[in-house]
Amino acid sequence: MALKGLAGKILRVNLTSGSITKEPTPDDVFAGYIGARGVGAYLLLKELKAHTDPLGPDNKLIFLTGPVEGTLAPGANKITVTFRSPLTGTYSFSLCGGHLAPEVKFAGYDGIIIEGRADRPVYLWIDDDRVSLKDASHLWGKLTHATEDAIRAELKDDAIRVACIGPAGEKLSRFACIQSDYHREFGRGGAGAVMGAKNLKAIAVRGTGSVEVADPEALEALTEKVYGILAANLKARARRYYGTPEMVDGTNGLGYWGTRNFSTGYFEEGHNINAANMKEKIFVGSMSCYACPIACGKVSLIRSGPYAGTMIEGPEFESTGLLGANCGVSDLEALVKVVEICDIYGLDTMSAGAVASLAMECYEKGIITKEDTGGLELNFGNGEALVALMEKIARREGIGDLFAEGAKRAAEKLGVPELAMQVKGQEFATYEPRGCKGMGLGYAISPKGAHHMIAPTMGPETAGDGSKRFEYKGKAALVRETQFLMAVVDSLSLCSSMRFALGLKEQVELYRAVTGLSLDETGALSLGEKITNLERLFNLREGFDRKDDYLPSRMLKEKMPTGPSQGHLVELDPMLDEYYDLMGWDRQGRPTAAKLAELGLAELWQEVK
Amino acid sequence: MNVLVTYPERCVGCRICEQWCSWKHEGQVNPTKSRIRVHRVHSKYLNIPVTCMQCAKSPCIAACREGALRKDSATGAVIVDEEKCIGCRRCVRACPYGAVAIDKDKRIVLICDLCGGEPQCVAHCREGAIEYVSLAVADRGHRAAYVETVVATMAAETKDGIKATGEGGCQ
Repeated sequence: MALKGLAGKILRVNLTSGSITKEPTPDDVFAGYIGARGVGAYLLLKELKAHTDPLGPDNKLIFLTGPVEGTLAPGANKITVTFRSPLTGTYSFSLCGGHLAPEVKFAGYDGIIIEGRADRPVYLWIDDDRVSLKDASHLWGKLTHATEDAIRAELKDDAIRVACIGPAGEKLSRFACIQSDYHREFGRGGAGAVMGAKNLKAIAVRGTGSVEVADPEALEALTEKVYGILAANLKARARRYYGTPEMVDGTNGLGYWGTRNFSTGYFEEGHNINAANMKEKIFVGSMSCYACPIACGKVSLIRSGPYAGTMIEGPEFESTGLLGANCGVSDLEALVKVVEICDIYGLDTMSAGAVASLAMECYEKGIITKEDTGGLELNFGNGEALVALMEKIARREGIGDLFAEGAKRAAEKLGVPELAMQVKGQEFATYEPRGCKGMGLGYAISPKGAHHMIAPTMGPETAGDGSKRFEYKGKAALVRETQFLMAVVDSLSLCSSMRFALGLKEQVELYRAVTGLSLDETGALSLGEKITNLERLFNLREGFDRKDDYLPSRMLKEKMPTGPSQGHLVELDPMLDEYYDLMGWDRQGRPTAAKLAELGLAELWQEVK
Repeated sequence: MNVLVTYPERCVGCRICEQWCSWKHEGQVNPTKSRIRVHRVHSKYLNIPVTCMQCAKSPCIAACREGALRKDSATGAVIVDEEKCIGCRRCVRACPYGAVAIDKDKRIVLICDLCGGEPQCVAHCREGAIEYVSLAVADRGHRAAYVETVVATMAAETKDGIKATGEGGCQ
């Protein structure tokens, strides 16, 4: 079977031996798991031995595109990396937008599997079918932007796409990201540290080919239809005009915006860092990922003050929340500066914000002192200190060394594990679970820790008057269904913003037009379920079960003190029970034998267990 | 007759124009087969669409020794005779805008043909970064922008009197 929409080859690079091989894309695996995230979950479970050291040579970085990339499909620009996370020890994956994904496909590959460890810094150069490892000693230590620039100059082509790590990845910060196109990244889970541990500084790609699609007319008609829907959709228009910070007012206004290390869900200075203020004060233009009719990337420029001249793409909503509200910082200029530091050193802005807010709470409580911080007055709201702290974390200097380990490890070392807002070691996204119960359940059951895009239920939960967000009824079912939907969209490798126009029906149509395979909505949802179970199996093998599907005690025991969600907590256990029941899992969160048989995963599980 | 006008300051770099250009001409999405290309200057956060400007005195046609290029009398687009083109790239080098490229498979040059008068890049650019307007009015926008600058300057001068230069020195 030759699947349309696919490039047909997977590149496998062993850094230990230096061997580079091209394997035929396993069509049956792509047909069975759609692509990207789904195929990544399958390959990681199958190829990685149990208890592999995340920072050892045996961990893998499995970069995968989806079947719709490199075609006319709107918003098809995500590339996934799947790996065992050094931050959580769980299965993890991370998606990057920009222009890398189509370039990989144009170069002739559906994915790149990186294994082993190079004995000195190298970078991978993929020039269509000519693939080589090149010395990167001269790039080691360079910031991400400088690395991209240096590689483009060295290879004498400005149009080359680069994914690279910065000093944070080299120094194995557990929440180091992989940066691409200056401001797009594989953010969560510490993929940058895995790359650093492998001595792989960068991947550079030039592709000049194309992929064939099954039904060009259908694809063209659907693409035009999606452009039309997106142009009319209010949410998409807000995203286009304001970028992701369009969500600030809504989230803060309902009081589920993590503030001051999630001590509350309402930031009273939120209006200083909302979209309208950004638009007025700092936005100077837009930058789009490949094939995107929304172009949510906003370019920000600081015109005056100590950070004058700083220019970034962003800040995104999640960065605004975690580095802004959650650190109590309403200074827009400091926010832009700290995002820049994260981007050029290669740190996940989300974890960075959660870690910094932990440091701030510890400082205010006297757990760390001015002596520990090297003179920084790390009170909530001190933007200048936040900028200085982030530089220390990025360089692992002084107290930065401790916090580069992530919130969970740092809080444990400081003797205050309960102050780290995390699940399985992955720091919270910006939504406050006490003010939005489904998000709480979503954080808890997420295979990669407290991430918001595993089951982003906030839309339906806050629809209408917003009171549904406090209800428990129906939340387990909502989380379950959203989880399956996200598994499909991530596996197709579409940007999740495309969901404004592409419902499951259109996604399935897109899949059919590109691949020629027959798939209906029910079939797609059951693939989503299969992928979700596969991810669960990886974690089970590593010893994760119900005991790890929890939220920090602050969410469960301390009533939210202020804002529109005042007085609320999360009652997690009943939601968990209901969720497990609906999933066909036992009360320890393990898929039952019957469920595995139903999904056709029993044999695989026997084999890898 | 209409010509293409590009507005780099509006371009966001989504490259949807490249997609539709190669899709309509070659039946595949392939940026290297597109007759319009978006060049991103990362360090300056700029995206510049590069395509044929339909120069009045086309340097590409003048450079071609094979007689492979001609102007379409209806649209004014440069048309490549695929039989005659030998892919020597003289036109690529002659183009002042870098708007001519070479098809790596067919080994002949790619120049915007204005899609026979319905440019697909224009039809699909949501940013309005490429416009297809009558030659007679194409440059009015620039004139208007210039006039706006003059008006703004005059208004400021009227308000503040003649502005100080802010420089010290010469008495």
